[in-house]
Amino acid sequence: MSLTDLTLMAKPNGELYKKVLGKLAKTELLECFQCSKCTGGCTAFKLLELIPHEIIKLVKLGFIENLIESGIIWTCVSCLQCTERCPQRASPYHVITSLRNIAVERQAKVPEAYLKAVSQILETGLMQPIEKVTTKKMETVDREKLNLPKIKYPSEEFKAIFLKALEGI
Amino acid sequence: MKLAVFWGCRILTSQYAYEMSTRQVLPQFGVELVDLRENHCCGNVVESVNRSASIYMAARVLALANETSLKDLLVPCSRCHFTLSETQRLLAADKKLEEKVTALLDEEKLAYSSDIKVWHIVDFLHDTVGVDKIREKVKISLKGFRFASHIGCQAVRPSYMKRVDGPENPQKLDRLIEALGAESVEYNEKLDCCGAALMLSHPEAGLSLTGSKLKALQELKLDGLVDSCPAGHMMFDTKQEEATAIIGSKLSMPVFYYTQLLGLAMQIETKELGLQLNKSPIEKISEKIANVDG
Repeated sequence: MSLTDLTLMAKPNGELYKKVLGKLAKTELLECFQCSKCTGGCTAFKLLELIPHEIIKLVKLGFIENLIESGIIWTCVSCLQCTERCPQRASPYHVITSLRNIAVERQAKVPEAYLKAVSQILETGLMQPIEKVTTKKMETVDREKLNLPKIKYPSEEFKAIFLKALEGI
Repeated sequence: MKLAVFWGCRILTSQYAYEMSTRQVLPQFGVELVDLRENHCCGNVVESVNRSASIYMAARVLALANETSLKDLLVPCSRCHFTLSETQRLLAADKKLEEKVTALLDEEKLAYSSDIKVWHIVDFLHDTVGVDKIREKVKISLKGFRFASHIGCQAVRPSYMKRVDGPENPQKLDRLIEALGAESVEYNEKLDCCGAALMLSHPEAGLSLTGSKLKALQELKLDGLVDSCPAGHMMFDTKQEEATAIIGSKLSMPVFYYTQLLGLAMQIETKELGLQLNKSPIEKISEKIANVDG
């Protein structure tokens, strides 16, 4: 089902529209006039049919629930071409980010890897566990073997405040 | 000069060669790296989950940098560099947000400062060290070698805030490659994305981006691809084999961090530069460089 098909059966949600606006910084206002330069430069358009100017239009029309449910918002590669090219200083990248945030809040379809990264941060402060890597000679090495200094992990305080920040600043 | 340094998760937990080679080459230019008291995620990946929490994290990194009382912070990862720079911009534009973030930091007696200069390896070497200084330090000229550059999307965009280089035609990394005596070849796919961000949601699509860029590069008969971003390097070097399987055509492209190539030209031992960790077929090229008559 394309996004355009979605709009035929969807109901706009004004509350959620305000919520998206609330998550955007002043410079990222939705002053889009549908020139589609963003889509012209979009990496994910060619590959996964992400259409940034359509996303903006659907947000402005209030079809936010459908966008969140469709999963299309997770195809953005964050190359920032759309933000760069927009003559109106709108930023599809940031609009998509806001939609992702709302998807998380509403416990919609969210790729597991993102949530895993957050729980890893709550554990160690870093988004991924330390990897042992193999050299070309198939020797397994870690930071110590490579003469790299020990990682200085963040304090428990950081984790507590991060958790608080996740609940909303 | 002293330079505070923030590595970010990917370098600290897996892309060790970038850290090793950076720690090797910068002191040769009189730079002393000062690690922050603590390391944590800059907030880049958290932005998709909760943007305000990601702003807090980036602000905390900047506060930790402030604690060193150094005004210059090196951030070798393009994604971290973007997140920290964007947080500086957002906090400068929104006093209320700044107050809220400052209050959170104050709980740990940390202080945010807006005047930290965030540097990437590429602009630090290009703008501060300068290509002439680099040329002077080269012991093995890479004359006759042909490389292509990949600087990384988030290092150059969006241009309405301060970025490492221009968004449409970045040249600094190319000048840095040329400073080693090598040629930096222009190519149509130069701005194409590595696909790393998709590894969290659509890994096959991400790898196909990696594969198609490498395939295009292969036709240029290069000695290698030179990058300066741990996410890009993870895709082009570490995951080159996986990308081969996805696009169904043989990929065999040597991929170096710029700091590794610089180290080779300065005759630093390959082991110190982490070259044993590169997964792409770099041996022929690194040996060829080692055997060049100085």
